[in-house]
Amino acid sequence: MVEISVTKKYGERTVLDVSGLRFERGRIYAVMGSNGSGKSTLAAILAGVIKGNGEIIYDVKKPVTGYMPQKSFAFDMSLTANMLLGRSLRERKEAKNKAMRLLEEFGLGEMRRKNAKKLSGGETEKLALARLMMDDCELLILDEPTAAMDVNAVERAEKTIMDYFERLRPAIVIVTHSPAQARRLADEVIFLDEGRVEEKGSAEEVLATPRSDKLRKFLSVNG
Amino acid sequence: MWSNVTAAFEKAFALMGEGNTLLNEIVATTMEMCVQSSLYAMIIGVPIGALVGVARFPGRRAVVLIMRTLMGLPAVAVGILVYLLFSGTGPFGKLGLMYSVELMVIAQVILITPVVAGFTETAVAPAYDAMRDTAAGMGLNKAKIALLAVNETKYQLVATYLFAFSRSIAEVGAVQIVGGNILHKTRVMTTAIALNYNMGQFSLALALGIILMLIVLGLNVVASALQAGLKKRNG
Ligand SMILES: Nc1ncnc2c1ncn2[C@@H]1O[C@H](COP(=O)(O)OP(=O)(O)O)[C@@H](O)[C@H]1O
Ligand SMILES: [Mg+2]
Repeated sequence: MVEISVTKKYGERTVLDVSGLRFERGRIYAVMGSNGSGKSTLAAILAGVIKGNGEIIYDVKKPVTGYMPQKSFAFDMSLTANMLLGRSLRERKEAKNKAMRLLEEFGLGEMRRKNAKKLSGGETEKLALARLMMDDCELLILDEPTAAMDVNAVERAEKTIMDYFERLRPAIVIVTHSPAQARRLADEVIFLDEGRVEEKGSAEEVLATPRSDKLRKFLSVNG
Repeated sequence: MWSNVTAAFEKAFALMGEGNTLLNEIVATTMEMCVQSSLYAMIIGVPIGALVGVARFPGRRAVVLIMRTLMGLPAVAVGILVYLLFSGTGPFGKLGLMYSVELMVIAQVILITPVVAGFTETAVAPAYDAMRDTAAGMGLNKAKIALLAVNETKYQLVATYLFAFSRSIAEVGAVQIVGGNILHKTRVMTTAIALNYNMGQFSLALALGIILMLIVLGLNVVASALQAGLKKRNG
């Protein structure tokens, strides 16, 4: 559906240099790599919020894209109002039900009238993820969406992501530090090192029998 | 010296207590001017500040620099400028606005709008940086993102309004020149204070200053109660 070939430099330093990376609908991609390897940069460029040098080619047209940055953000209003941002008045009623259901799924239903600024880090992450799922996306880009969540919350969030995936069959690109999460969710793994694709392939193979030393080391450290 | 100050406090409360008609008139004119000046400055300044706060274009820093420099406009200079524009022979002389409350408002709006715009930009720019990727990632359009950035700064906007009002009520240089301190017409608290000082009536001048501060205090009490209410409602 989309193919990306870009480089990104900050000053003299190249932080991302990838070419011919493809993402297809109906697949889930885990982007992994150590801190500073360029995961967030790749996600942001794919989402179109920062520019790189190169091109992003869409097979047909630009897909409906949802993007959750690594630092999740709560808008200064109630949780429900956060969920309804960008809804037209016409769709409000239906959207409200959907918002309620999603908040429940993330265990935020009770707090829906609270100001979202009062949420904890993990709760803010849940809200950001739930909010993104208000839209039917063809490409969903999630930058460490569960990094601040506890184990139970991660399980719930992953289930919701999978339900969303089964329902809409989008391409999902999920940045994660956790090989276990990659194993649970992803069809494919892209392992970045210093901005380059060090290894990629089907999740099963790559995670079970990594070819590169760096990936082997990463997997042994990250469990 | 200290007895002068105590005398001023006594005089201030006596004046307020006795329901002095001249004082009431001056306070009313002052409020008429301040409410208009501060509101118009907000209506013009907030959109300008917000726009500069969320726009990213070459030369933006120069615009911010100019805006911040205009925040330091000397009141007397604005007064002279407006005087020249609106006096009989000036380009807007035909409007006949010289020595009117309207013209005092115009001068103050010129003076205060850059401050409002500057404060707004300073608040909105970092708020925008913090939320733009999230908002863009949700597919929101630019106008909506700009409004959301302003929404993130609503408490600072309340503070900005209070500052605009305080600047207006305490300002004397511009209103003296374009208003002329005419009794029953354009006399406001600050010009009355200046007049009494010139006539050597220090304690009366100071008493008026105290009343002015009490008005500002009252406004701040109302505003912080509103803020607390807003916070509470936002749970
Ligand atoms: N705005 C920026 N200015 C300068 N350097 C940046 C900027 N954003 C990211 N970087 C650098 O680019 C590298 C890759 O960052 P990032 O993609 O966020 O890594 P990660 O894989 O941890 O998500 C890091 O070394 C980071 O310091
Ligand atoms: Mg990152």
